[in-house]
Amino acid sequence: MSNAKDPSAVTTGHVMQPNGRPRPMSPHLQVWRWHVTMLASILTRVTGSALYVGAILVVVWIAALASGAEAYATFVSLAGSPLGLLVWFGFTVSLLYHFAAGVRHLIWDAGAALTPKSADALSWGSIAFGVVASLAFWAYLFAAGRVSL
Amino acid sequence: MSRTTSQYRNGVKVSENHGAGEWKAERLSALILVPLTIWGLWAAATLSGSGYDGATEWFRSPVNAILLAVTLVATLWHMQMGVKVIVEDYIHKAGTLRLLLGLNTLICLLLALASVFFIVRLALGSAPLPAGLGA
Repeated sequence: MSNAKDPSAVTTGHVMQPNGRPRPMSPHLQVWRWHVTMLASILTRVTGSALYVGAILVVVWIAALASGAEAYATFVSLAGSPLGLLVWFGFTVSLLYHFAAGVRHLIWDAGAALTPKSADALSWGSIAFGVVASLAFWAYLFAAGRVSL
Repeated sequence: MSRTTSQYRNGVKVSENHGAGEWKAERLSALILVPLTIWGLWAAATLSGSGYDGATEWFRSPVNAILLAVTLVATLWHMQMGVKVIVEDYIHKAGTLRLLLGLNTLICLLLALASVFFIVRLALGSAPLPAGLGA
């Protein structure tokens, strides 16, 4: 069934045991009941990946500014368009959620709040913070007249 | 050089691999980014809608320029480590794994170099790019 030459050993990621059988793998997503710490963990990865694009956008912003008034005007007309603002809003939600989820991990790493109840509370709290703080941030931007549609 | 005798610190075995170092670097970068992210959001609120003149003026402050450079470098460091873990989790083909890890490190490194380059120019009030590169 298996030996070192078996190509499936490489392509499927199965690690072979000395007895020649594939090492059992942990069950995948579909067999788990959804719980909030699992959702929060997945969201941390998703928002982290989105922030990869966000970081590139921030560098593009600095590059446009360093390229003079004309280049910056082009950047602002795109970044300030309704679609541009939607992208920045998504960036804000991702950043604030990832921020809260990261602080949650630092608390856990310190050895605190590790009971299921407090872990759930921290996870719900991170999700709520990501949404509420983003809405507050953008409410301020609009109220102060810093951005407009 | 002998690996037969394990080292102990406070009764805990000192790791002979590099995982502990990576774990610490992930936490250290996260800790550094907690205050810097709050500052970054405040800066973003200040800068939005301030126009070309307001933004260039903001960069002429050494405090702003240095804090933004540190924030971006720490962010890109954290990002490189985070995406490395994701790639290692899902990619099992040795060749693809090496390619993606190399690409990730290269992108983060280039973004860090580029942002520091632009920030230094803006802080010094250098002529707009591409100075002398046509256009």
